[in-house]
Amino acid sequence: MRVESCDVLCLGGGGAGITAAVTAAEYGANVILVSKEPLGYGDTRISMGLTSFPGVVEGDSLELFYQDLLKGGEYLNDPELAWIMAEMNPFGVQLLESYGHLFQRNNKGLIGSDVAYLIGGHSLPRSIGCPPGGGISMGNALRAGAARSNIRVFEEVLASSLLCSGEHVAGAVCFDICRGEVFLIRAGAVIIATGGAGWLYYPHTDCNSGVNGDGYALAYNVGAKLIDMEQVQFMPFGLTHPASVCGVYVGEPSLAAPKGLIRNRNGEVILSGLGTMTRAQVTNAMAVELSRGGGTEYGGLLLDLEPNLALPEGRQMWNVRKERGQLNIVRFAYGEDAYRWKKPWDVTPTAHYFMGGIMVNTSGQSSVPGLYAAGQAMGGIHGANRLGSVSLAELFVFGYIAGKAAAKECIGQKPLDCSQGQEEAAGNIKSLSGRKGLYSPLVLQRRLQKTMWENVGIARVEKGLRTALKEIEEIEETCENLKIASQISYNRDIVHTIEIKHMLTVAKLITEAALMRCETRGAHLRLDFPEKDEKNWRRNIIVFKENNNFKIQSEAVKF
Amino acid sequence: MSETIIVSILRNNPENDQPPSWCRYEIPFEEKNTVLGTLLYIQEELDPTLAFRYGCRYKRCGLCAVEVDGKPRMACHTYVKDGMRLSPLSKLPVIRDLVIDRESFFLDLQKRFLFVDEENCNSGIVLEPEEGAKLRSCAECLSCFASCPQYIFGDKDFGGPYIFVKLAQLSLDPRDNRNRHKQAIELGINRCLDCDSKCYCPNGLNIYREAVNHLLSKSS
Repeated sequence: MRVESCDVLCLGGGGAGITAAVTAAEYGANVILVSKEPLGYGDTRISMGLTSFPGVVEGDSLELFYQDLLKGGEYLNDPELAWIMAEMNPFGVQLLESYGHLFQRNNKGLIGSDVAYLIGGHSLPRSIGCPPGGGISMGNALRAGAARSNIRVFEEVLASSLLCSGEHVAGAVCFDICRGEVFLIRAGAVIIATGGAGWLYYPHTDCNSGVNGDGYALAYNVGAKLIDMEQVQFMPFGLTHPASVCGVYVGEPSLAAPKGLIRNRNGEVILSGLGTMTRAQVTNAMAVELSRGGGTEYGGLLLDLEPNLALPEGRQMWNVRKERGQLNIVRFAYGEDAYRWKKPWDVTPTAHYFMGGIMVNTSGQSSVPGLYAAGQAMGGIHGANRLGSVSLAELFVFGYIAGKAAAKECIGQKPLDCSQGQEEAAGNIKSLSGRKGLYSPLVLQRRLQKTMWENVGIARVEKGLRTALKEIEEIEETCENLKIASQISYNRDIVHTIEIKHMLTVAKLITEAALMRCETRGAHLRLDFPEKDEKNWRRNIIVFKENNNFKIQSEAVKF
Repeated sequence: MSETIIVSILRNNPENDQPPSWCRYEIPFEEKNTVLGTLLYIQEELDPTLAFRYGCRYKRCGLCAVEVDGKPRMACHTYVKDGMRLSPLSKLPVIRDLVIDRESFFLDLQKRFLFVDEENCNSGIVLEPEEGAKLRSCAECLSCFASCPQYIFGDKDFGGPYIFVKLAQLSLDPRDNRNRHKQAIELGINRCLDCDSKCYCPNGLNIYREAVNHLLSKSS
């Protein structure tokens, strides 16, 4: 079996992963980066490309931005991480630009107040765009930044498990999708930057297809603590049909400003004044109406933007969005009248971002020695709700922090012996090919995704959460009886099998945490506990594995 | 009886010695279904071994480019029609079915220095012309290679449209100080002079006007 070695192994080929890898290399580490998709083709690329950049408007400050993060996060944030986010945000923006990207500038060539947007939850305008391709330019710049660096890149390679030397993480078992090869990578430290797990809710997600929560499961399986996994952000406006684009994002609350409305199936207004509301506030109001039976035949509500056309600034907004190409998807799905805001859009919330994730300290270190996390894979910065446009800057800030710390930890250290369990872990993947069981791993993914959307989605109740746990257990048993193709190159059955195992693990963590949090806070809406419970629940929920058993506990927030 | 349509896909299995062959699939008709929706249906319901790439499901990631009736298209925003024939992007090496080998394109970024050097990259005041900003929307889907009559994979003397888009974008970035025009000449851009082909870009770039012409005019 092929064995590769490095100081720092970075899992994930998006903004956080590439930044972490390039930074670790700059600090002298020998780095391997593994990306499940071609490098730079993940959620960073498909984002709209808006980044937070505090301080461009008079009266703004890092302190004010920090307070907004906490308020928006409903005070579940890790205050130290939130402060780093605020303080280093401008640095993160510069770091990405140093890879070749450029954010929007005014006619003086500066990122000034005249290019900043106001997005719900921010006290002042501080979100900057990057026309016209949005995140595509970020993806291109990240690839260029990786190419400029001396890191080794393995594209379309998936880690199936982490290897340990005693308690210390020491490498990973990997599967090369194009070549069909199982191999090992030995490393002094591993950084998980695999993004979130929106795909658990497919088709109701606007995330890229590879975003399965692999990193959460890898970390959990070696004993790392994860924080607030129940906090899943659903963007309020995703398409409901046709099936091939269901879940695709069409906008965030500010899209509706100033006069847009949300109506139910009977045309009754259920929400107005959306422009200043956070994503969680809009999504939760929609979820309550949908659970009351107010949804359309497609399971959505009606976003009515026509009232904006009566105002000059409303017509201006239509023009801006048209120029940026943001309305094309609506024309594609719903036709010309919807494109022109003359006909309401059928929308339902769509899984977008995980506020929860691997618990880390201010150096990006997890609770397991040698294991780091960055970007969406880590948790704690955003608490119970993330403000729009902060997640992109987050990638570069925390990718940088983890890359630097991991490099410093392992440069000059002797390679660790990771032979413990490596043959068995590799054998588990090698033996998948050609299995003649009954169930397709892809069909099992669909079954899990259905139960997650129906029972652990935008509106939760105890009964549904328990139904989901039972279903998760049943699918786990079914995973013993898989039907897997025997082809060598590009065997998606093997990829789907590794993924479904990770997805089941993450699904369980989300559901257990959602069951424990008996209140409604941020993105977590419990219909059976509709109020926020400041007295009992200003607490983080921590999940981890101990002696092979699932553990869950709550800890007071760190204020 | 619900209505169905037929699509054919060029299947290619490098692990046996058979040449690629067309397979027909009967799928239920659905209003506004896409080529990608069709591929996902086949993978889920009919044949899980069908290999194709996709990511975002609407026009941003650049992973799902295939040929539809012999023309490069993004599977995610092409409506499917009865009788369509789907094949991998031509001119590029095939790994399996609709999946082409992308590995060399990352290596190209390194070999051809398709990045801004770090010492020049400190941002601050930067005035990038609009033409340059526009070229940043290249999703690196590689469709343009498939529609270029000059391009041959592995030809060291001809870069091809994707590379020319990169070179033009870099030459318009005020922070870049390599001679991209010279590079374009070395990579055979003069071959584009007499070519009346319109390289296809699903994101709407006019590759000839916005990239090739820019590089040619600066180098003359």
